[in-house]
Amino acid sequence: MVALPTIRRRRVRGPSAREAGTALLFVLPFLVLFALFRFGPAIAGVVLGFTDYTIGGDTGFVGVDNFRRLADDPTFWSALRVTVVFTALSVPMSMLASLGTALLTRRAFRGAKVFRSVFFLPVVTSLVLAGVVFSWVFADGGPWSRAMGALGLPQQSWLADSVLVVPALVLVAVWSRFGYGMLILLARLQEIPAELEEAALTDGASAWQRFRYVTLPQLRPALFFVAVIETTVAVQVFDMIYVMTGGGPVRASYSLVYLLYDQGFKYFDLGYASAIGVALFVMTIVVALIQRLTLGREE
Amino acid sequence: MTDTIVPAAPVAAPAAAPTRRRRPYRVGRAGRGWLATRTALLLVGAAITLFPFYAMVVLSFKPTGPVTFPDSLLPWPFSTEAYDQVIGAKSVLRWMWNTVVYSVVSVVGVLLFASMAGYAFAKKRFPGKEAMFWSFLAMLMVPYHVTMIPTFIIISELGGVDTYWGMIVPTLANAQAVFLMRQFIASLPDSLFEAARLDGCSEWRVYVSIVLPLIKPILATLGVFVFLWHWNDFLWPLIVGQSLDMRTLTTGIASLQQENVALNMLLAGSVVAFVPIFTAYLIGQRYFQEGVATTGIKG
Repeated sequence: MVALPTIRRRRVRGPSAREAGTALLFVLPFLVLFALFRFGPAIAGVVLGFTDYTIGGDTGFVGVDNFRRLADDPTFWSALRVTVVFTALSVPMSMLASLGTALLTRRAFRGAKVFRSVFFLPVVTSLVLAGVVFSWVFADGGPWSRAMGALGLPQQSWLADSVLVVPALVLVAVWSRFGYGMLILLARLQEIPAELEEAALTDGASAWQRFRYVTLPQLRPALFFVAVIETTVAVQVFDMIYVMTGGGPVRASYSLVYLLYDQGFKYFDLGYASAIGVALFVMTIVVALIQRLTLGREE
Repeated sequence: MTDTIVPAAPVAAPAAAPTRRRRPYRVGRAGRGWLATRTALLLVGAAITLFPFYAMVVLSFKPTGPVTFPDSLLPWPFSTEAYDQVIGAKSVLRWMWNTVVYSVVSVVGVLLFASMAGYAFAKKRFPGKEAMFWSFLAMLMVPYHVTMIPTFIIISELGGVDTYWGMIVPTLANAQAVFLMRQFIASLPDSLFEAARLDGCSEWRVYVSIVLPLIKPILATLGVFVFLWHWNDFLWPLIVGQSLDMRTLTTGIASLQQENVALNMLLAGSVVAFVPIFTAYLIGQRYFQEGVATTGIKG
């Protein structure tokens, strides 16, 4: 009623033009933001990888120089190795924990909701806070080294050891992420028709057989989804490393995103940092394809 | 009588979960053993999950001094010294304010622009709609770190470094939010909007008084997650908020940690940063958990 004049004006242009016009007005604010801070930067990010852009300096195209430099940079290869090892360890372990807690809290028993809430709590907790606490947990003389000592293993700080530092970070990652996968798997478990398991039970299938041949195949799409999300998260690991080790000892926990951050925002070599970003992008695509071909295949 | 010996699959189970709980074969001795095992496993899992939170709180209430394990895990000696120092001498309250501004303004902005765009994408026809939507989808594939560098350059050229708007505006280009909005609004019947339009309501009026009230559930779910992402965000605030006064809680605590501030102070800062998100989690648990379960939104 308030806006009658507008409607009368637009009716002249015909209904579809009017509809398109108002629709575009609704999309416009987001579209501008998206073009300016997402679409444009995505293209610019790739283009910058082929320049020697530094803040305040002259910029020129340098072809594939940045990528040649990357290939010759031992720091890049070590960061890549750290990232791959971290991802390869943390994703399966976190998924196992997700699966375990999902199966344990699957039925509606008293306290099931409380356990689910507890297991999800680390997911809403900042990795900076987690990093501060876990620095103490893994410190020399802290709970973890004492526990290792009690098991007869050398009592030492895992964060100060160049071999054990990545496993320590993996444990933090598992703690922080498994609750997310648990909720995804629980949602799927709840949808599995009870008849399937009842039928397997009447056929005399053992608990393991029921899990292996009935539940697990039904969970497959959800597991694939969790694997994809967790891999993206793991490949971009940065926050907790920044807080817990600073990439050390001697680059033993220096990840790709850490390298990108240092090159771009400590040395302001934004061209080189962008090339690292492109490498990260390529790696994401390769991993996504591998997952699609293995986990995501149709049976 | 035979029913109790051979468990038959219920022909039409009204609600799956309760029916399964009452299944006769669950009551046997093996069933009881399994229940005990399950409870034990869950308790161990919950203890491991909660231990870092316990340590964070207890150690933050210690006088400054060496932290030994396990006796420092006792609640005494008790001291609020760390809180006095971290709130008095350090800028924690200022960082808290920055974090509130960053999170709250972003939530409002994302919800507004994403719901407007989502409404148009769900219910309107306009030229370029498909192309826009596909470009949103394609951009989800590009890792954030690729777009981060050009976005920083843009913000830096516009003079947005160390400002609230420089920190907030780029995060409003959230394509995932538009997807969720579009999906939700598409499920609402067209007749609701048509009736208002026939009554002569302007499109803006339809959006404000019909669309917005109808999409409250998705606004709540999405709002909770956008708040969480911003509250815990690290890398972007680290890059844009460079001065002491423009740090958020996460980047501020990380900077304290790099100054080698005592553990009790770091943990006191962490508790201050954790309490708001923990309270939000306690109140909005349903939205967090259902949000993950129904939309797969990244925690």
